[in-house]
Amino acid sequence: MGTKKFLTGLGATATAVKMADVDVITSFPIRPYTGVMMILSQMVANGELDAEFIHADGEHAQLSISHGASAAGARTFTGSSGVGVTYAFETYSPISGGRCPVQMLIADRTLDPPGDFGSEHTDALGCRDQGWIMGWAETPQEVFDNTLIYYRVGEDPRVRLPQFNCHDGYFVSHIPGDVEIPEQSQVDEFLPPYRPVDPLDPQNPLGHGPQIFPDQGPALEAMRHNAMMAAMPVIEEAIDDFGRIFGRKYAPFVEEFMTDDAELVFFINGAHAHTARYAIKHLRERGIKVGLVKIRFIRPWPTDVLQESLSRFKAVGVVETNSSFGIARGGGILAPEVCGSLYDVPQRPLIASFMGGLGGEPITLKEFDFIAEKLKKIAESGKIEKPVYWLGFEE
Amino acid sequence: MATQKVEKTKVDRIRSLAKAPMDDYYVSGHRTCAGCGPAINYRMVAKAAGKDTIFVGPTGCMYVANTSYLCVPWAVPWIHAQITNAGGIGSGISAAYEARIRKGKYKGKFPNVIVMAGDGGSSDIGLQALSGAMYRNHDLLFISYDNEAYANTGIQVSPTTPYGARTTFTPPGPVVPEGKKLWPKDLAKLIVGGHPSVAYVATASIGYPIDLMNKVRKALNVEGAAFMHIHAPCPKGWGFPADKAIEIARLAVQTGMWTMWEYENDEYKINIQPKKLKPVSQYLEAQDRFSHLTAEHKAKIQNFVNHKLAMLGIKVPVEAVTA
Repeated sequence: MGTKKFLTGLGATATAVKMADVDVITSFPIRPYTGVMMILSQMVANGELDAEFIHADGEHAQLSISHGASAAGARTFTGSSGVGVTYAFETYSPISGGRCPVQMLIADRTLDPPGDFGSEHTDALGCRDQGWIMGWAETPQEVFDNTLIYYRVGEDPRVRLPQFNCHDGYFVSHIPGDVEIPEQSQVDEFLPPYRPVDPLDPQNPLGHGPQIFPDQGPALEAMRHNAMMAAMPVIEEAIDDFGRIFGRKYAPFVEEFMTDDAELVFFINGAHAHTARYAIKHLRERGIKVGLVKIRFIRPWPTDVLQESLSRFKAVGVVETNSSFGIARGGGILAPEVCGSLYDVPQRPLIASFMGGLGGEPITLKEFDFIAEKLKKIAESGKIEKPVYWLGFEE
Repeated sequence: MATQKVEKTKVDRIRSLAKAPMDDYYVSGHRTCAGCGPAINYRMVAKAAGKDTIFVGPTGCMYVANTSYLCVPWAVPWIHAQITNAGGIGSGISAAYEARIRKGKYKGKFPNVIVMAGDGGSSDIGLQALSGAMYRNHDLLFISYDNEAYANTGIQVSPTTPYGARTTFTPPGPVVPEGKKLWPKDLAKLIVGGHPSVAYVATASIGYPIDLMNKVRKALNVEGAAFMHIHAPCPKGWGFPADKAIEIARLAVQTGMWTMWEYENDEYKINIQPKKLKPVSQYLEAQDRFSHLTAEHKAKIQNFVNHKLAMLGIKVPVEAVTA
């Protein structure tokens, strides 16, 4: 069997990328994701990984080179953080529209201004509508596992979509944890070599991305939509296989913690779920029936799973480590999607947003206490007084 | 491991038009304007490169007019790039074949990777991606087909538009009588000047097809990155009859408005050098885009051309201007 290592999220990503036998890697420095490229370049220099390691002229170039390489049949890896993610924005839709399964690590960082290294999810969430699979990992182990799972799902001939493999900057990217490293044979069983469907190849000449006229647009958009929806059962299959081969069983889309008798839940993506688990244990000692619903994939958004899960609770507190100034309900990006998911359900919980962790601040146990108190009040009164709370600015 | 070389194939010189390959890989069915210089250029480049080629086509005339209704006029693989990132897409294709052949994941030959970018997609918004590809020395040929404007969007000024040209963003008027007031970027010199890894840089013109096709073959035979800047007149944008594209292209060389050279082994080599240059006014007066220019403007352009030729080491007398 494999070995156990004490790795950061970046170290875990690099190890998984190496075991996935990636062909082309494109780098450009920006904190906090940079470390993954430092490790990978050393692996290439040492001869541990046979890949083209390319110093791109910016993030836009990182993604452009990855696009060309993926279209020519290579398994590719790239990554970025913060404004690096937004600098490459133009390239995201052509890559997913070209059905190129590029994988990009996003170690979240706040967008400017002002310059701030801390983790905030707006960099990645700002790109959520570009046709990329997207989700968050909570620990270095989950980072390692997601890296392999995302390649497998994205490269599946039924899907063929790129993937944003996200985790919080510093909280996950830089804080080490135990990571079980499997045998190479296990990885090879789970993740077969990439077999491109229609690569750029003179032996089979094809045109990629010609212009269309408006009447040809709907069909192409529907195909990309169908690919994203097709990812749902493929993710379930991959998670099943992952459990069988590696012995770690994940809930495909939504992981619950202490929800069996819960009336209130924290709804979270990413690293702050880690703190929430501790907060829940403390709160339960005080008799508050609170649990955690952690969402593992934002795209595709698991509407059905959430309907089933969240309709069991009285109140849901959506923890938003992102901004969308002027969005519906005036909070973050996730709450409107949660509300939208539940609109058709007869038995709906009451939902409030809690803006927290902005600028890369930790969300403290005290703040989780505050969220639980507000949820309790909402559940008892049966009504929402305020749809959005800004943690640290409330009475 | 990563230093192991991937085998590359070589191609021979074309000795005359009669001996040029009969096969075409840029074929009919596209919707370019009659007499389109960039389309004539594309046909020659594809003919010279042959079937083991992948084209990268950033947004521009050669995207918009060539690929309508999900159809393409190439008999070889082609991929669209954004107007910004053709150099990046080309770099990625080349890198993918390096890795896949080296790792035994692809069994065929290393293909010719040719980026075919307009002047905007290479000298302006695509300059960073071009420079990155040249600096990293990927095995590819980047061609800038120069019709001296953003033509498919309706003839807007680009960095290679000549001084004094009328475009829809540089209309002449009482306050700006000359139209475009800036001197053009010299893209090929820019590549030579700052990219020491690049082993082959050449200029060419659709007016001289044998020279053009052989330069393409030479560029493809080079290991690593190569660059060509190809003059491709645009009847619609420049204002001349559609059957005069080749004549205008030759007149550009005969007046010194366009120069034909190669750069390799740290040296410039002038390829086509008329014994006597015609005055630039002959070139300017053959095109509607210069019809508003005064004698003073034309003299400025003649001085600019004289200076440019002197910098290249071309010392040829100019015929007397008869105005």
